[in-house]
Amino acid sequence: MLRKNFVIVFVTFIITFLFAFSAYAADGRVTYSGNAGEFVFEPGSEYSLTDLFPNFKGVMPGDTLTQKITVKNNADNKVKVKIYMRSLGAHENSVEFLSQLGLKVEKSSDNKMAYMFDAAANETAGLTNWVCLGTLYSGGEVNLDVTLNVPVEMDNEFQSEIGYLDWQFMIEEFPVEEGDPKPPATGDNSNIGLWIAVMVISLATIIILLVWRKKNKENVEKIPKNK
Amino acid sequence: MGKTKFKILIVAIIAALVTFMSQSTLAYYSTIGTATNVVTTGNIRFIIHEMTDQGTEFPREGVYIVPGDIVSKKVSIESDCEHPFYLRVKMVYGIDSKELSSEDCFKLNIDERHWVLHTDGWFYYTGIVNPGETTPAVFSHVEIVGSKVDNSYLGKTLNLTVKAQAVQSENNPISDGNTYTASGWPAEEA
Repeated sequence: MLRKNFVIVFVTFIITFLFAFSAYAADGRVTYSGNAGEFVFEPGSEYSLTDLFPNFKGVMPGDTLTQKITVKNNADNKVKVKIYMRSLGAHENSVEFLSQLGLKVEKSSDNKMAYMFDAAANETAGLTNWVCLGTLYSGGEVNLDVTLNVPVEMDNEFQSEIGYLDWQFMIEEFPVEEGDPKPPATGDNSNIGLWIAVMVISLATIIILLVWRKKNKENVEKIPKNK
Repeated sequence: MGKTKFKILIVAIIAALVTFMSQSTLAYYSTIGTATNVVTTGNIRFIIHEMTDQGTEFPREGVYIVPGDIVSKKVSIESDCEHPFYLRVKMVYGIDSKELSSEDCFKLNIDERHWVLHTDGWFYYTGIVNPGETTPAVFSHVEIVGSKVDNSYLGKTLNLTVKAQAVQSENNPISDGNTYTASGWPAEEA
Protein backbone atom coordinates (compact mmCIF):
# COMPACT_ATOMS: atom_id res chain seq x y z
CA MET A 1 0.00 0.00 0.00
CA LEU A 2 2.82 2.36 1.02
CA ARG A 3 4.69 1.52 -2.20
CA LYS A 4 1.59 2.22 -4.29
CA ASN A 5 1.14 5.62 -2.65
CA PHE A 6 4.77 6.42 -3.24
CA VAL A 7 4.43 5.59 -6.95
CA ILE A 8 1.33 7.81 -7.25
CA VAL A 9 3.07 10.73 -5.53
CA PHE A 10 6.18 10.25 -7.67
CA VAL A 11 4.25 10.13 -10.96
CA THR A 12 2.21 13.20 -9.97
CA PHE A 13 5.42 15.05 -9.18
CA ILE A 14 6.98 14.14 -12.53
CA ILE A 15 3.87 15.19 -14.49
CA THR A 16 3.63 18.48 -12.59
CA PHE A 17 7.31 19.13 -13.19
CA LEU A 18 7.03 18.42 -16.91
CA PHE A 19 4.01 20.69 -17.32
CA ALA A 20 5.71 23.46 -15.39
CA PHE A 21 8.83 23.07 -17.49
CA SER A 22 6.98 23.07 -20.82
CA ALA A 23 5.10 26.23 -19.86
CA TYR A 24 8.38 27.90 -18.95
CA ALA A 25 10.49 26.65 -21.81
CA ALA A 26 9.16 28.91 -24.57
CA ASP A 27 10.12 32.17 -22.84
CA GLY A 28 13.41 33.99 -23.15
CA ARG A 29 14.91 35.10 -19.83
CA VAL A 30 17.53 37.67 -18.93
CA THR A 31 18.58 37.50 -15.31
CA TYR A 32 20.92 39.76 -13.38
CA SER A 33 22.21 38.28 -10.14
CA GLY A 34 23.91 41.31 -8.64
CA ASN A 35 27.44 42.39 -7.71
CA ALA A 36 28.29 43.24 -11.30
CA GLY A 37 28.08 39.57 -12.15
CA GLU A 38 27.29 38.47 -15.64
CA PHE A 39 23.82 38.34 -17.07
CA VAL A 40 22.34 34.90 -17.56
CA PHE A 41 20.57 34.47 -20.89
CA GLU A 42 18.20 31.55 -21.30
CA PRO A 43 17.20 29.22 -22.79
CA GLY A 44 19.95 29.35 -25.43
CA SER A 45 19.90 27.05 -28.42
CA GLU A 46 22.07 24.81 -30.54
CA TYR A 47 23.07 27.94 -32.48
CA SER A 48 23.90 30.26 -29.58
CA LEU A 49 24.19 29.74 -25.84
CA THR A 50 22.67 33.18 -25.25
CA ASP A 51 19.75 32.83 -27.67
CA LEU A 52 16.54 34.47 -26.37
CA PHE A 53 14.39 33.43 -29.36
CA PRO A 54 13.29 29.81 -28.89
CA ASN A 55 10.03 30.55 -30.72
CA PHE A 56 11.71 31.83 -33.85
CA LYS A 57 13.06 28.55 -35.18
CA GLY A 58 11.99 26.97 -38.44
CA VAL A 59 9.83 29.94 -39.37
CA MET A 60 7.89 29.84 -42.62
CA PRO A 61 6.70 32.52 -45.04
CA GLY A 62 3.49 34.11 -43.74
CA ASP A 63 4.28 33.35 -40.09
CA THR A 64 3.67 35.93 -37.38
CA LEU A 65 5.26 34.71 -34.17
CA THR A 66 5.69 36.20 -30.72
CA GLN A 67 8.38 35.71 -28.14
CA LYS A 68 8.07 36.78 -24.54
CA ILE A 69 11.30 37.80 -22.85
CA THR A 70 11.46 38.41 -19.11
CA VAL A 71 14.21 40.65 -17.79
CA LYS A 72 14.65 40.08 -14.06
CA ASN A 73 16.70 41.63 -11.29
CA ASN A 74 17.82 38.94 -8.88
CA ALA A 75 20.23 41.17 -6.96
CA ASP A 76 19.72 41.40 -3.21
CA ASN A 77 17.39 43.82 -1.47
CA LYS A 78 20.02 46.46 -0.79
CA VAL A 79 20.27 47.60 -4.37
CA LYS A 80 17.98 48.67 -7.16
CA VAL A 81 19.07 48.48 -10.76
CA LYS A 82 18.39 50.42 -13.88
CA ILE A 83 18.24 48.07 -16.82
CA TYR A 84 18.93 49.21 -20.36
CA MET A 85 18.98 47.45 -23.68
CA ARG A 86 20.14 48.18 -27.19
CA SER A 87 20.55 46.35 -30.47
CA LEU A 88 23.84 45.83 -32.23
CA GLY A 89 21.99 44.63 -35.33
CA ALA A 90 22.59 41.58 -37.47
CA HIS A 91 25.85 39.77 -37.95
CA GLU A 92 27.40 40.62 -41.28
CA ASN A 93 26.49 37.35 -43.00
CA SER A 94 22.90 37.51 -41.70
CA VAL A 95 22.00 40.95 -43.00
CA GLU A 96 20.47 39.82 -46.30
CA PHE A 97 18.27 37.22 -44.67
CA LEU A 98 17.19 39.26 -41.64
CA SER A 99 16.43 42.29 -43.79
CA GLN A 100 13.51 40.22 -45.15
CA LEU A 101 11.90 39.94 -41.73
CA GLY A 102 9.97 42.46 -39.66
CA LEU A 103 10.64 42.71 -35.92
CA LYS A 104 8.78 44.57 -33.21
CA VAL A 105 9.78 44.92 -29.59
CA GLU A 106 7.49 46.34 -26.93
CA LYS A 107 6.93 46.08 -23.24
CA SER A 108 4.13 43.68 -22.32
CA SER A 109 0.55 44.88 -22.08
CA ASP A 110 0.73 45.27 -18.30
CA ASN A 111 3.38 47.90 -18.78
CA LYS A 112 2.53 49.36 -22.18
CA MET A 113 4.71 51.79 -24.05
CA ALA A 114 5.25 52.57 -27.70
CA TYR A 115 7.24 50.09 -29.75
CA MET A 116 10.86 50.35 -28.79
CA PHE A 117 11.71 48.74 -32.08
CA ASP A 118 9.66 48.36 -35.27
CA ALA A 119 11.84 47.72 -38.29
CA ALA A 120 13.54 45.08 -40.40
CA ALA A 121 15.23 42.52 -38.15
CA ASN A 122 18.74 43.37 -39.34
CA GLU A 123 18.48 47.00 -38.26
CA THR A 124 19.14 48.65 -34.93
CA ALA A 125 16.47 51.37 -35.43
CA GLY A 126 14.88 52.45 -32.15
CA LEU A 127 17.35 50.40 -30.16
CA THR A 128 20.48 51.94 -31.62
CA ASN A 129 21.08 53.79 -28.37
CA TRP A 130 20.54 52.46 -24.88
CA VAL A 131 16.86 52.38 -23.94
CA CYS A 132 16.01 52.22 -20.24
CA LEU A 133 13.60 49.38 -19.51
CA GLY A 134 13.02 50.63 -15.98
CA THR A 135 14.29 50.64 -12.44
CA LEU A 136 13.91 47.27 -10.86
CA TYR A 137 14.12 46.36 -7.20
CA SER A 138 15.17 42.94 -6.06
CA GLY A 139 12.93 40.34 -7.66
CA GLY A 140 11.43 42.91 -10.00
CA GLU A 141 11.02 42.11 -13.66
CA VAL A 142 9.96 43.65 -16.92
CA ASN A 143 8.50 41.68 -19.80
CA LEU A 144 9.18 42.31 -23.46
CA ASP A 145 7.00 41.08 -26.31
CA VAL A 146 8.90 40.47 -29.50
CA THR A 147 6.94 39.90 -32.70
CA LEU A 148 8.47 38.47 -35.84
CA ASN A 149 6.75 38.88 -39.20
CA VAL A 150 7.85 36.66 -42.05
CA PRO A 151 6.51 37.97 -45.37
CA VAL A 152 4.62 35.39 -47.37
CA GLU A 153 6.53 36.51 -50.48
CA MET A 154 9.90 35.57 -49.02
CA ASP A 155 11.93 33.79 -51.66
CA ASN A 156 12.80 30.10 -51.79
CA GLU A 157 16.48 30.91 -51.47
CA PHE A 158 15.96 31.67 -47.79
CA GLN A 159 14.99 28.09 -46.92
CA SER A 160 17.03 26.61 -44.04
CA GLU A 161 18.58 30.02 -43.36
CA ILE A 162 20.13 31.02 -40.03
CA GLY A 163 20.25 34.66 -38.94
CA TYR A 164 22.11 36.08 -35.94
CA LEU A 165 21.37 39.38 -34.24
CA ASP A 166 22.90 40.77 -31.08
CA TRP A 167 21.19 42.56 -28.24
CA GLN A 168 23.01 44.06 -25.31
CA PHE A 169 21.70 44.56 -21.80
CA MET A 170 23.29 46.88 -19.27
CA ILE A 171 22.58 47.45 -15.59
CA GLU A 172 23.53 50.18 -13.21
CA GLU A 173 23.24 49.29 -9.55
CA PHE A 174 22.13 51.91 -7.03
CA PRO A 175 21.67 51.57 -3.31
CA VAL A 176 18.09 51.50 -2.13
CA GLU A 177 17.29 54.82 -0.47
CA GLU A 178 14.87 55.70 2.27
CA GLY A 179 12.38 57.41 0.01
CA ASP A 180 12.22 54.45 -2.38
CA PRO A 181 9.10 52.36 -2.50
CA LYS A 182 9.42 49.27 -0.41
CA PRO A 183 10.61 46.42 -2.58
CA PRO A 184 8.14 43.58 -2.90
CA ALA A 185 8.75 40.55 -0.76
CA THR A 186 10.47 38.22 -3.16
CA GLY A 187 11.74 35.52 -0.91
CA ASP A 188 11.48 33.84 2.45
CA ASN A 189 13.48 35.76 4.99
CA SER A 190 12.78 33.36 7.84
CA ASN A 191 15.58 31.43 9.47
CA ILE A 192 16.16 28.48 7.18
CA GLY A 193 18.31 26.74 9.84
CA LEU A 194 15.35 26.72 12.23
CA TRP A 195 13.10 25.11 9.67
CA ILE A 196 15.71 22.49 8.82
CA ALA A 197 16.00 21.69 12.54
CA VAL A 198 12.21 21.37 12.80
CA MET A 199 12.23 19.09 9.77
CA VAL A 200 14.97 16.86 11.21
CA ILE A 201 13.24 16.68 14.61
CA SER A 202 9.92 15.82 12.94
CA LEU A 203 11.55 13.13 10.87
CA ALA A 204 13.29 11.69 13.89
CA THR A 205 10.01 11.71 15.85
CA ILE A 206 8.22 9.88 13.04
CA ILE A 207 10.97 7.25 12.86
CA ILE A 208 10.96 6.78 16.65
CA LEU A 209 7.18 6.44 16.67
CA LEU A 210 7.27 3.90 13.87
CA VAL A 211 9.97 1.84 15.61
CA TRP A 212 8.11 2.08 18.93
CA ARG A 213 4.90 1.01 17.24
CA LYS A 214 6.57 -1.97 15.60
CA LYS A 215 8.18 -3.10 18.87
CA ASN A 216 4.91 -2.68 20.69
CA LYS A 217 3.17 -4.80 18.08
CA GLU A 218 5.80 -7.54 18.39
CA ASN A 219 5.45 -7.53 22.18
CA VAL A 220 1.68 -7.90 21.93
CA GLU A 221 2.08 -10.86 19.56
CA LYS A 222 4.49 -12.56 22.02
CA ILE A 223 1.98 -12.49 24.95
CA PRO A 224 0.19 -15.87 25.00
CA LYS A 225 -3.54 -15.70 24.71
CA ASN A 226 -5.60 -16.64 27.78
CA LYS A 227 -7.52 -19.76 27.26
CA MET B 1 48.07 79.52 8.09
CA GLY B 2 46.66 82.59 6.47
CA LYS B 3 42.96 83.40 6.29
CA THR B 4 42.84 82.64 2.56
CA LYS B 5 44.45 79.25 3.00
CA PHE B 6 42.04 78.50 5.84
CA LYS B 7 39.08 79.39 3.61
CA ILE B 8 40.43 77.19 0.81
CA LEU B 9 40.83 74.36 3.29
CA ILE B 10 37.24 74.77 4.52
CA VAL B 11 35.90 74.84 0.95
CA ALA B 12 37.99 71.77 0.05
CA ILE B 13 36.68 69.87 3.09
CA ILE B 14 33.09 70.82 2.25
CA ALA B 15 33.64 69.78 -1.38
CA ALA B 16 35.12 66.50 -0.24
CA LEU B 17 32.17 65.90 2.12
CA VAL B 18 29.64 66.73 -0.59
CA THR B 19 31.43 64.38 -2.97
CA PHE B 20 31.54 61.66 -0.33
CA MET B 21 27.85 62.07 0.52
CA SER B 22 26.82 62.12 -3.09
CA GLN B 23 28.48 58.72 -3.56
CA SER B 24 25.25 57.20 -2.38
CA THR B 25 23.47 58.46 -5.48
CA LEU B 26 26.06 57.13 -7.90
CA ALA B 27 25.88 53.67 -9.35
CA TYR B 28 27.68 50.98 -7.39
CA TYR B 29 28.25 48.72 -10.33
CA SER B 30 27.45 48.48 -13.96
CA THR B 31 27.80 45.55 -16.27
CA ILE B 32 26.96 44.70 -19.85
CA GLY B 33 25.94 41.37 -21.36
CA THR B 34 25.40 40.42 -24.98
CA ALA B 35 22.74 37.99 -26.17
CA THR B 36 23.17 36.53 -29.65
CA ASN B 37 19.66 35.75 -30.82
CA VAL B 38 18.95 33.40 -33.68
CA VAL B 39 16.16 33.18 -36.23
CA THR B 40 16.03 30.15 -38.51
CA THR B 41 13.75 29.32 -41.40
CA GLY B 42 12.16 25.99 -42.11
CA ASN B 43 12.20 24.15 -45.39
CA ILE B 44 10.18 21.83 -47.56
CA ARG B 45 11.92 18.59 -48.46
CA PHE B 46 10.72 15.26 -49.75
CA ILE B 47 12.01 11.97 -51.07
CA ILE B 48 10.68 10.23 -54.17
CA HIS B 49 10.43 6.48 -53.70
CA GLU B 50 10.34 4.13 -56.67
CA MET B 51 9.59 0.59 -55.61
CA THR B 52 8.59 -2.67 -57.23
CA ASP B 53 5.81 -5.08 -56.30
CA GLN B 54 8.42 -7.15 -54.48
CA GLY B 55 9.14 -4.24 -52.14
CA THR B 56 12.59 -3.64 -53.60
CA GLU B 57 13.84 -0.37 -55.06
CA PHE B 58 13.26 0.07 -58.75
CA PRO B 59 16.68 -0.43 -60.41
CA ARG B 60 18.35 2.87 -61.24
CA GLU B 61 19.83 1.44 -64.41
CA GLY B 62 16.31 0.59 -65.64
CA VAL B 63 14.86 -2.68 -66.92
CA TYR B 64 14.76 -4.44 -70.25
CA ILE B 65 11.34 -4.31 -71.79
CA VAL B 66 9.47 -5.74 -74.76
CA PRO B 67 6.25 -4.36 -76.23
CA GLY B 68 3.27 -5.23 -74.08
CA ASP B 69 5.29 -5.58 -70.87
CA ILE B 70 3.76 -4.33 -67.66
CA VAL B 71 6.51 -3.15 -65.36
CA SER B 72 6.02 -2.86 -61.64
CA LYS B 73 7.02 0.63 -60.51
CA LYS B 74 5.34 2.24 -57.51
CA VAL B 75 6.09 5.92 -57.20
CA SER B 76 5.29 7.65 -53.92
CA ILE B 77 6.59 10.72 -52.12
CA GLU B 78 7.67 10.88 -48.50
CA SER B 79 7.89 14.07 -46.43
CA ASP B 80 11.41 14.79 -45.20
CA CYS B 81 10.78 18.01 -43.29
CA GLU B 82 8.91 19.41 -40.31
CA HIS B 83 6.30 21.36 -42.24
CA PRO B 84 3.22 20.21 -44.17
CA PHE B 85 3.05 20.83 -47.90
CA TYR B 86 1.01 20.54 -51.09
CA LEU B 87 2.47 18.37 -53.81
CA ARG B 88 2.31 17.91 -57.56
CA VAL B 89 4.01 15.49 -59.94
CA LYS B 90 4.59 15.35 -63.62
CA MET B 91 5.72 12.50 -65.83
CA VAL B 92 8.24 13.37 -68.51
CA TYR B 93 8.90 10.88 -71.29
CA GLY B 94 12.00 10.60 -73.41
CA ILE B 95 13.91 8.42 -75.85
CA ASP B 96 17.52 8.34 -77.04
CA SER B 97 16.52 8.81 -80.66
CA LYS B 98 15.76 11.87 -82.74
CA GLU B 99 13.64 9.97 -85.23
CA LEU B 100 11.36 8.29 -82.74
CA SER B 101 8.92 9.71 -80.21
CA SER B 102 8.31 8.52 -76.70
CA GLU B 103 4.77 9.84 -76.78
CA ASP B 104 2.09 7.24 -76.07
CA CYS B 105 4.72 4.57 -75.44
CA PHE B 106 3.77 4.32 -71.77
CA LYS B 107 0.44 3.75 -70.13
CA LEU B 108 0.29 4.44 -66.41
CA ASN B 109 -2.38 3.37 -63.96
CA ILE B 110 -2.63 6.73 -62.17
CA ASP B 111 -4.41 6.74 -58.81
CA GLU B 112 -6.96 9.35 -59.83
CA ARG B 113 -8.57 9.35 -56.41
CA HIS B 114 -5.53 11.00 -54.87
CA TRP B 115 -3.87 12.60 -57.91
CA VAL B 116 -5.86 14.96 -60.12
CA LEU B 117 -4.63 16.06 -63.53
CA HIS B 118 -4.82 19.80 -64.04
CA THR B 119 -4.72 21.69 -67.33
CA ASP B 120 -1.08 22.59 -66.74
CA GLY B 121 -0.11 18.93 -67.14
CA TRP B 122 0.70 18.35 -63.45
CA PHE B 123 -1.00 15.78 -61.25
CA TYR B 124 -1.92 17.48 -57.97
CA TYR B 125 -2.10 15.50 -54.75
CA THR B 126 -5.55 16.12 -53.31
CA GLY B 127 -4.43 16.34 -49.69
CA ILE B 128 -1.68 17.77 -47.55
CA VAL B 129 1.49 15.81 -46.95
CA ASN B 130 2.19 16.11 -43.24
CA PRO B 131 5.59 15.62 -41.60
CA GLY B 132 6.54 11.94 -41.61
CA GLU B 133 3.82 10.94 -44.06
CA THR B 134 4.17 9.16 -47.40
CA THR B 135 1.62 9.67 -50.16
CA PRO B 136 -0.26 6.87 -51.82
CA ALA B 137 1.52 5.74 -55.01
CA VAL B 138 0.97 8.02 -57.99
CA PHE B 139 0.95 4.89 -60.12
CA SER B 140 2.04 1.32 -59.53
CA HIS B 141 2.45 -0.17 -63.00
CA VAL B 142 3.80 1.03 -66.33
CA GLU B 143 2.57 -0.66 -69.47
CA ILE B 144 4.72 -0.57 -72.59
CA VAL B 145 2.11 0.02 -75.27
CA GLY B 146 2.58 -2.74 -77.83
CA SER B 147 0.73 -0.99 -80.64
CA LYS B 148 3.13 1.94 -80.41
CA VAL B 149 6.47 0.37 -79.54
CA ASP B 150 7.23 -1.60 -82.69
CA ASN B 151 10.41 -3.04 -84.15
CA SER B 152 11.82 0.42 -84.87
CA TYR B 153 12.30 0.83 -81.09
CA LEU B 154 14.60 -2.15 -80.92
CA GLY B 155 17.73 -1.33 -78.89
CA LYS B 156 16.49 2.10 -77.89
CA THR B 157 16.22 3.47 -74.36
CA LEU B 158 12.90 4.89 -73.21
CA ASN B 159 12.90 7.18 -70.21
CA LEU B 160 10.12 7.88 -67.78
CA THR B 161 11.06 10.68 -65.36
CA VAL B 162 8.83 11.64 -62.46
CA LYS B 163 9.21 15.29 -61.44
CA ALA B 164 7.73 16.49 -58.16
CA GLN B 165 7.26 19.94 -56.69
CA ALA B 166 5.96 21.02 -53.30
CA VAL B 167 4.81 24.22 -51.71
CA GLN B 168 4.08 24.92 -48.05
CA SER B 169 0.48 24.53 -46.93
CA GLU B 170 0.89 26.71 -43.83
CA ASN B 171 -0.28 30.30 -44.41
CA ASN B 172 -1.33 29.20 -47.90
CA PRO B 173 -5.09 28.92 -48.31
CA ILE B 174 -6.62 27.16 -51.32
CA SER B 175 -9.96 27.54 -53.09
CA ASP B 176 -12.61 24.80 -53.10
CA GLY B 177 -10.09 22.22 -51.94
CA ASN B 178 -8.13 22.48 -55.18
CA THR B 179 -4.47 22.34 -54.30
CA TYR B 180 -3.47 23.81 -57.66
CA THR B 181 -4.89 27.13 -56.42
CA ALA B 182 -2.21 27.35 -53.72
CA SER B 183 0.28 30.18 -54.04
CA GLY B 184 3.96 29.69 -54.59
CA TRP B 185 4.14 26.79 -57.04
CA PRO B 186 7.57 27.03 -58.65
CA ALA B 187 7.67 28.41 -62.16
CA GLU B 188 7.79 25.88 -64.97
CA GLU B 189 11.32 25.17 -66.10
CA ALA B 190 11.99 26.06 -69.73
